[in-house]
Amino acid sequence: MPKHETPMVDQLESGPWPSFVSEIKRQSEARHQKAKEMEEAGKPYQIPVDVCDDLLGVLEMSFKDGTTHWKHGGIVGVFGYGGGVIGRYCDQPEMFPGVAHFHTMRVNQPAGKYYTTEYLRQICDLWDFRGSGLTNMHGSTGDIVLLGTRTEQLEEIFGTLTHEMDQDLGGSGSNLRTPACCLGESRCEFACYDTQELCYQLTMEYQDELHRPAFPYKFKFKFDGCPNGCVASIARSDMSFIGTWRDEIRIDQEAVAAYIGGELKPNAGAHASRDWGPFDIQKEVIDLCPSQCMRLEDGKLIIDNKECVRCMHCINTMPRALRIGNDRGLSILVGAKAPILDGAQMGSLLVPFIKAEPPYDEIKEIIENIWDWWMEEGKNRERLGELIKRQGFQKLLEVTGIKPVPQHVQEPRHNPYIFWKEEEVPGGWQRDIKEFRKLHQR
Amino acid sequence: MDKEAAKQAIVDFINSKSKSKSKFYFNDFTKVLPDMKTREVKKLLTQLINEGVLEFWSSGSTTMYGLAGAGKQHATEGEE
Amino acid sequence: MTFVPSGYYNPDKPMEGRITDIGPRYYADFLPPVIKKNKGKWLYHEILEPGVLMHKAESGDEVYTVRCGSPRLLSVETIREICDIADKHCDGYVRFTTRNNIEFMVDSKDKLEALKEDLTSRKHPGGSYKFPIGGTGAGLTNIVHTQGWIHCHTPATDASATVKVVMDELFEEFQKMELPAKLRISMACCLNMCGAVHCSDIAILGYHRKPPIIDHEWLDNLCEIPLAVAACPTGAIRPTKTKITTESGEEKEVKTVAIKQERCMFCGNCYTMCPSLPLADKEGDGLVIMAGGKISNRISQPKFSKVVVAFIPNEPPRWPTLAKVMRKLVETYAKHARKYERFGDWAERIGWERFFELCELEFTHHLIDDFRDPAYYTWRQTTQFKF
Ligand code: SF4
Ligand code: SF4
Repeated sequence: MPKHETPMVDQLESGPWPSFVSEIKRQSEARHQKAKEMEEAGKPYQIPVDVCDDLLGVLEMSFKDGTTHWKHGGIVGVFGYGGGVIGRYCDQPEMFPGVAHFHTMRVNQPAGKYYTTEYLRQICDLWDFRGSGLTNMHGSTGDIVLLGTRTEQLEEIFGTLTHEMDQDLGGSGSNLRTPACCLGESRCEFACYDTQELCYQLTMEYQDELHRPAFPYKFKFKFDGCPNGCVASIARSDMSFIGTWRDEIRIDQEAVAAYIGGELKPNAGAHASRDWGPFDIQKEVIDLCPSQCMRLEDGKLIIDNKECVRCMHCINTMPRALRIGNDRGLSILVGAKAPILDGAQMGSLLVPFIKAEPPYDEIKEIIENIWDWWMEEGKNRERLGELIKRQGFQKLLEVTGIKPVPQHVQEPRHNPYIFWKEEEVPGGWQRDIKEFRKLHQR
Repeated sequence: MDKEAAKQAIVDFINSKSKSKSKFYFNDFTKVLPDMKTREVKKLLTQLINEGVLEFWSSGSTTMYGLAGAGKQHATEGEE
Repeated sequence: MTFVPSGYYNPDKPMEGRITDIGPRYYADFLPPVIKKNKGKWLYHEILEPGVLMHKAESGDEVYTVRCGSPRLLSVETIREICDIADKHCDGYVRFTTRNNIEFMVDSKDKLEALKEDLTSRKHPGGSYKFPIGGTGAGLTNIVHTQGWIHCHTPATDASATVKVVMDELFEEFQKMELPAKLRISMACCLNMCGAVHCSDIAILGYHRKPPIIDHEWLDNLCEIPLAVAACPTGAIRPTKTKITTESGEEKEVKTVAIKQERCMFCGNCYTMCPSLPLADKEGDGLVIMAGGKISNRISQPKFSKVVVAFIPNEPPRWPTLAKVMRKLVETYAKHARKYERFGDWAERIGWERFFELCELEFTHHLIDDFRDPAYYTWRQTTQFKF
């Protein structure tokens, strides 16, 4: 007999897509079954055995009354850290004592999210013992999210993570949030730099910024290996690092011919479930190139690389014929954010090209200049993108010491209201009215 | 200002506001110590945290500082 | 419950023996050998069938990846099952994707069939797949989403349930690659958009429509008024005093706040700071659908999603209206868009006026932007339009 009747929630067990309700029920059953075993092993459950049952009960209640039953809690968890734990309390603790406290811990994921089963099992054992046994793999920012524990367990979990698993928490609040990257060079031929290494190195360099919040608001780094943008850095991170190249796309003309001849599957097979007709290189590649920099000459594909804007379309479509260039690095875009409050912002291009090679000193210098400016000038809860809007892109160039180039804009300004600085105008602004009057009557 | 005096200035500032609020943004402290670099102010706050004088409070998206154990929400969270 | 200390924490001396600032585990220690060996030296890839990838390295090595959906909310029991599968087929390695998929990798083609069979054979007692294979190429991949009623204090809907409903409805698109281009759906349960839904082909967004209720009697006891005032991004909250009659019938004047209701944008930030300002409401809360955003730079530039349905009510447990609208959007896109056109590229080519017609969506004043400066740029400043 389940602890609570949950007829509405139960309806989400059917249907083909993996059911989160079945996950919660699975954990519930396992908890009841293994309670004794855990006890005998000297590891009695540290939070109520029926935590999962109560979670289902709360959810059923929300389904009925159409509202949430969680309250925010300001505790941030472990001593000395300002983030990594999200405090939650149920607003019906008598009815659902198992989830009276239901705090979340964010655990910094490994770059690229590869795991050994040995490591994952350690996490499982810890979370069985000291938490609800429910997780998110992963949270939206990228962390492993351990869902639901009680306050007195936080330090114990942190102690176990750091001492036994060599593993730290992630970020939350006004700090550097846990950086995240695409899998990059580990398994992608499009990667223009080692996203995992840069992600890891910057995460390590800025541990203090990650754990001890002193920014006006949250700050995110994300690392995409190429302009395809698999981790959405251009939309989701205050600083977005997107791989690119500045020489020629490498062409294998034989493979081009094989695509034209139909021997090779276009798009690496990405459109295979539907009959789109035979591959037409003119229509599907050359005509769709946003910079119109390609043409076919005597069966050979010619790319005017100087005009290429590296959108990835031709490479994605014919991956066996075309490859990214050899002179690789990354572009840095800054200021992306979700709409609240003044509207959504995409990242704006700040550094068109920079090499991404350890120890990444040049990249770190740009980051730190930006932080210094934002920490001085940013208002409370003002994202970097909003500060750039408020003080101007010019100010951003000034604090980073970057020279303005046409690449910085989509198009030049629409008005001539230029705020000239005094030193830019010959003779300065101090003028003598008497001199003026010599030529002009009053 | 030496370090201890600066730390005291931080605590005094918080106490002077205790009637109306118990939690403060990082920015509030840079205004208390206008001649100090933000990174230096942060180091002082970190020390006060590690000494158990101050503690963090987080909304999940923003973080604030307050005297350890102070504030009305502390009571509602049943955490003392 | 007996409290079992870890032995690493002494409340009287919290800094004693404390390890901090060690960061994540080093990723390279978790890479499967074939990945580690060929890192940075991959030649090309091929999608052999929906959900199955082959990457070929310069060395001639191949790695075969099977991608499976997951509900993101995983029990440790299931994670252990994932580990068992990875131990059996993949030498003890496994990977998760940014969009909550699980990837099992093997280093030769012979190992592929057994792995696939094993994965598809596993089902929950309720009937759903544990590890459905798919999510590649020109199809639908997993929905990224937030916490909703499972864990969040300001949601206007549930996240896991709406995602389950939509993925059930569109399941065949996850298992096939028959759309004009890839389709990215995201879900966030309030306008703070922890899930960054603002650049997705289709976005499902929870939305409140009623300003907070003010619990005058308790507010000054539970909240610090200046913090609640400062929390509001639109400056709608001000401190005030009011006369109340308490539950015991006593008349008294209390310190509290007043909210300029027409200024409220329903963000819930005040509730985060002050539990006496709840805003969730059964009739008020529901969903907004946005569409036409993208992140990749392929062919066209990244773009924001636009609001195409101003309100869908919450209909737990299976949100039938939501499911119907989503199916209509995806079907119309699949039928009318050209090969390679992302959802937003298609809508822009045919024009949004035609988009509303084809998708049989009603256009109301709610869909015309009136929020601050950028609004003007979304009105039509040309005589070019379609009837
Ligand atoms: S962003 Fe580019 S490099 Fe990274 S995984 Fe995606 S396609 Fe590959
Ligand atoms: S819900 Fe948001 S906008 Fe409305 S009063 Fe509260 S803080 Fe202000």
